[in-house]
Order: sequence, then C-alpha cells, then structure tokens
Amino acid sequence: MTQRQLLTRRRLRWCLVMVLVVFGLFGARLFQIQGIDASAYAAAAVNAGTKTSTDPAPRGTILDRNGEALATSVDGLTLTADPSMTADTAPQIARILHEKLGNRIDYFETIDKLRRPKSRFVYLVRDLPKWTADQALDAVAKAGLTGVFSEKETLRSYPGGKLAANLLGYVNGAGKGVAGLEQQYDKTLTGTDGSSTYEVSPTGQRIPMADSTVKEMVPGSNVKTTIDRDLQWYGDQRLADAVRESSSDWGLAITMDVKTCQVVQMSQAPTFNADDRTGMTDDKTVSRAVQNVYEPGSVLKTVTMASLADQGKVSSSTPIVVPSGMTIDKFHIGDYWQHGTIHLTAAGVIALSSNLGTIVAAKQMSDQVQYDYLRKFGFGQKTGINLPGESKGILTNGDEWTDSNKATISFGQGISVTAMQMMRAVGAIANAGKMCEPTIVSGTVDGKGNETKTSVAASHRVVSKDAAATVTRMMEAVTAPDGTAPAAAIKGYRVAGKTGTAWRVDPTTGRYIRGQNTVSFMGFAPADNPRFLTYIVLDKPYSNAGGGSTAGPVFHDLMSMALERFGVAPSGSESPKVPQEW
Amino acid sequence: MSTSFARAFAPSPSRIDDAKAAGLRLVRPVRSRARKAPFVVVVMTILSIGLVGLILMSTVLQAQSFEAARLDQRAAQLRTQQQALGREVERMQSPANVAAKAVQLGMVPNANPAFLRLSDNKVLGKAEPAVAGSNIGSVTR
Repeated sequence: MTQRQLLTRRRLRWCLVMVLVVFGLFGARLFQIQGIDASAYAAAAVNAGTKTSTDPAPRGTILDRNGEALATSVDGLTLTADPSMTADTAPQIARILHEKLGNRIDYFETIDKLRRPKSRFVYLVRDLPKWTADQALDAVAKAGLTGVFSEKETLRSYPGGKLAANLLGYVNGAGKGVAGLEQQYDKTLTGTDGSSTYEVSPTGQRIPMADSTVKEMVPGSNVKTTIDRDLQWYGDQRLADAVRESSSDWGLAITMDVKTCQVVQMSQAPTFNADDRTGMTDDKTVSRAVQNVYEPGSVLKTVTMASLADQGKVSSSTPIVVPSGMTIDKFHIGDYWQHGTIHLTAAGVIALSSNLGTIVAAKQMSDQVQYDYLRKFGFGQKTGINLPGESKGILTNGDEWTDSNKATISFGQGISVTAMQMMRAVGAIANAGKMCEPTIVSGTVDGKGNETKTSVAASHRVVSKDAAATVTRMMEAVTAPDGTAPAAAIKGYRVAGKTGTAWRVDPTTGRYIRGQNTVSFMGFAPADNPRFLTYIVLDKPYSNAGGGSTAGPVFHDLMSMALERFGVAPSGSESPKVPQEW
Repeated sequence: MSTSFARAFAPSPSRIDDAKAAGLRLVRPVRSRARKAPFVVVVMTILSIGLVGLILMSTVLQAQSFEAARLDQRAAQLRTQQQALGREVERMQSPANVAAKAVQLGMVPNANPAFLRLSDNKVLGKAEPAVAGSNIGSVTR
C-alpha cells in the first residue's frame, strides 16, 4: 500500500467518524423531541394554533311582581391607556374623550393620566356602557390616535335609580352582590361563563371543520320579587317628603299583603342610587327594615292587648282604672298627657294610647306568660324574610324581668325590634290571629323560562280569631275623630291602626335621650276584611312630632294608593262605636 | 448487452427441433383486447372531480368563515345597540320619568281610592277631586 493510499484511507475514516457524530447528535435530539418532551411539544403546537374565547354569562334580572325590571345587566367597558404612547397626543385624546363622554371624565385629570411618567398602564374611566365607550374609542381611532384600550366587563343597571335601592342592594366592582337581594340571591343571579376553543390560522381566521370545543354559557336566573314597582316608587317619594318635612334622621315605610304576607313595597329614606353610585355611605346603604333595631313604643300595645284578649282577660269594653302616674323601681311612668285618675275602657286605652292603662291591663298576666306571647308573636327571632344581615332584635328572658321591665315592655319600651318583626306580629292580628312569614321573592326563573316558586312556610295561629277581632276593633278607635290618629283615616274605608312615640336609646350610653323619639304608625285596611298592612317609622324627627300627626298622613297616602292600585273596594260598613270611657 | 442477453435466453435450434418432435409449437403471446384509454380517463375524471370539489368546498367554507366572523361582529354591534335602546326605554318607562311628565301636564298622584261598580252604577269609597300641588312634593318640586 502506498503512502498516498494510506492517507486517503485515514481521511475517509475521519469523514465517516464526523458523519456518524453528526447523525448521532440528530438522533439524540430526535429522541429528546419524540421520546422525552413529546407531549409538551404537542401541547405547544396545539396552543399556537388554537384560540379560546370566553362567553360571559349575563347576571339575572331582578323583576317586580308584574315582570318590570328593577335591576338588569348590560355590557360595559373600562377605558385604559398606555401613557408611553399617549404622552405626546394627550390633549387631543382628552378633548375627544371629554366630547364623547361629557362629565363622566375630567379633562385636565385625563391629560395628567395620559402623561403619567414611567407608566405603561392607567385606568381612564371605569364602568361605561359599551355603546358609549365604543363611540369614544371609534372617535379616537378615527382621529388617528393610538394608545387607548378597553377592557370588557358586565355593568349592573338599575333603571329606577333610587327605587327600592335598600331592598335590591348592589354589586361590587367584581360584579358580586354585596347587599340586599343582590347578595342574598347572588348564586341564583350569577350564571356560568361559557367558553369556546377552536383552531385558527396564523392570521387569526377560524379554520372551518377543524377541532373545536364549546362549553355552553348558562345565563343567571331571574329573581321575581313581590314588589309592585309603581307603589314602591310612590312609597319612596312620599317617605322622602315626610323625612325631609319632619327633619328625621331616617324613615321606613313598608306595605304587606296580610293574606299572603307578601311585601309589596319597602321604602327607606334617605337612600342611595346604585345606578350612578351616588350616596353610597353606610348609613344609607344599610337595610333598616331588617338590620336596624329600635324600641317600637306604643304600637306594641296592640300585641299586649291581643295577648290579654286571647286569654279572655280583656274585651274592647273592659273597664280599666287608670291612675295619674306610677313609680315602679324608682322609675316614674306617666302618660303623654296630664290627667288624674280616669276610667277608660280597654278600647279607650288603645285609642288614647295610655301607657298607664296598658300597664294596669298587663298586670293580669305573669311575666312568663307575657314573654311567651311575645315569643309567639316572633320577637327575639328572625322573620324568615330571607334578606342578608337580619337582626333578631333584643328581648330579654321573662324570668329576668324586673317589675319596671314588665311595665315598660307592655307599652313597647325596653324591647328592641326590627320593623319587619313588627310587620309580622301586627300582620297576625290583621290576618285573624294567624301569623305567616313575610316574603319578598316569589320565585326564580331560569334561562329556559322554568319558574321555581319560593317555598312559603305555612301560617300558624298565634291568638284566637276573636282576640284578633277584639284588638282590631280597639285599633279602629285610633283613627276615629277622637282617637290619636284621625289623620290616618281614609274616607269610605274602615281603618285600624296604632300610633307609636318611643324614646330613643343612645347607642353609646344605652340610656334614653330626652326629647328624641322614634315615631311610627302601623295600620291595616279595610278593617272589616284586612288586605294591606302599612308601617311608617320616622326616627328622630323634630321634638314635638307624634306618631299620629307625623307618620299618620304618610300612612293615609300610602295605604290609599295601595288600596287603589290593587282595586280593594270598601265594603261600605261603618266602624262600630266603642265607648272610650266608662 | 441486450443482444447477448436475448441470445443467451433464446432457445437453441436443437431444443426447437426437440419441441417440434414432441408436438409442441411456439404460441404467439395473447394480445389484451381491453384498451387502456377509457380506464385512464375515468380515473383522471374522478381524481379531478374530487380535487376540484375539495378546492371548491374549502373555498366556500373559507368564505363562510369570513362571513360568519362578519356576522358575529354585526350581531355584537346590534346587541350593543339593542341594549342602549332597551335601557333608554326602561328609563323612559320608569315611574319617576312618567310621574315627572304627568306633573308637567298638570296631573297629581291620585291617593283617593274610589271605585265605580258597573253592575249598579254605585260609587264605592268617597270620590274627591284631586287638588293641584297636593300629595307628593318631591315630584312637583
């Protein structure tokens, strides 16, 4: 073999080795891709070629009893900007946005935001309805300006503004209900977002007939309330007027159908506007009808009398000797008017709202019996109305009562209640002694139109029919011309009612504050066949305001409107004359 | 090479003679009667129909995909418009707006329940004329 042949053979061998090494490398890489990382690469490949879009489920609507919307959802947008792109054109962009969005945006503030140094993201304006935001974005794009973007969201709209705001509640920035029905029925109202995944071409076009997976969106269910929107509006306005005129801290007006215990109207003043998010302070967003406890005062005398009548211990003509005053446990108790010893019938005690007369009458039952009746009437327990944050009120156990406790509780002091508890208790008297749970939601309707009715607890007897009739007769005397609330009488109808003027408790000291009252009026009509029960409460009005003179006229207007709207005609019978004295 | 190949495989004259002696003779190869042209035409036709069909279908689907995207966009636009109009209607129908309009026309809320019974033309309740500026102040103010 020549030298040359040897050299050639060595070169060939080297080449072979090099080729084998390169092939080896390729083989190793192939093994890594196909054998070890196969699934990861496959997933990445699928990912690059697919697109997922979510289909947000709209939140359910809250409806009134006639199907009118009280709260609905609409598409919304939040406008954002990248200041690194907008710093130079800030004034032009701000001018266009201000032109399109009006006072929802501040011109100078927007310029500052658009020029914010060292920032690549700012919120310009939140919670815009989509159509408004679209117009603004189009105008910006048309002017050839860039750097303004948008984010999708769902907006909650309350077409009535302040209407029934405390009952409906509101949603937070994330669209979750945080008060009222929005909170209580959040799960029902919230739907399930859908999504679809499909393969796309590099330009973003969907590839037809390629694999796609679709998860159907399930819209939130609608919640149907028992509220009558028009009566609700009237109640809101009338109460707001009364609160303003009496310079009260707050007021409540609630109307309930006593036959079904459906709340048809529930107003609170002052209130807030969840639609434009004004007045959203704690003292306005609290739902006082179920969350606020106060001492009811004389309205509770009806419950005391019903308890006594149920035991057969009073009738409307039962004679009661009312002393000029009493001192119990060193605590002096009098009536709101000065008198000597007088002779009143039980009806007279209610008609004139005598504290002393009620104490004398209540002495016929023991502490425990009186306590048991208060429990039967639902005090110290939730009403079952299914609204968030409901309070149980404060009722101390009967065996812990002092003499002065028993005396004051019989006329509604020393016991704390919610307005809804009072509605339920007096509702039992109006409903011939049978008590039911107040309801405010009649059912839910899902996206396919299937209605699920709210289960209603059966009503149960609290006092006898005769006892309820006796107390109704006594309460009719209240709205008579010589009663404490002639202003609450409705011409042509028989109206039963009771005034209340309770001392207010200072929450910090736990003591009564002289000259500060909670005035109220509770009544139902027509007294001969009760249909509606209306309760008006005004807290801390001007010092000499009384339940009959301040809350009575509000009751008159609201009850009249309820009777008219629901077509409840008077029977034409006359109220029986009941003597007040003997 | 081919000639040598033929030569190598051609029967030698002596073997032909042997065959003849045994009564065998060379047979001419049978010519196939089937013509190739129609078969080719059929296959080509099927192939081209399939190909053209596939192209057509793909084109149509693509066009439909664009159309679907356009219609989706249009639907979204219309939904937005419908929401805007729906909201406007809801606001116009809201009790507050209706009441404000009614008050402008000089009407007042009627809080006087009285009914006319058609069967005997009897008025139930006490009907009273409404007084201007009465009832709720917050609307008239």
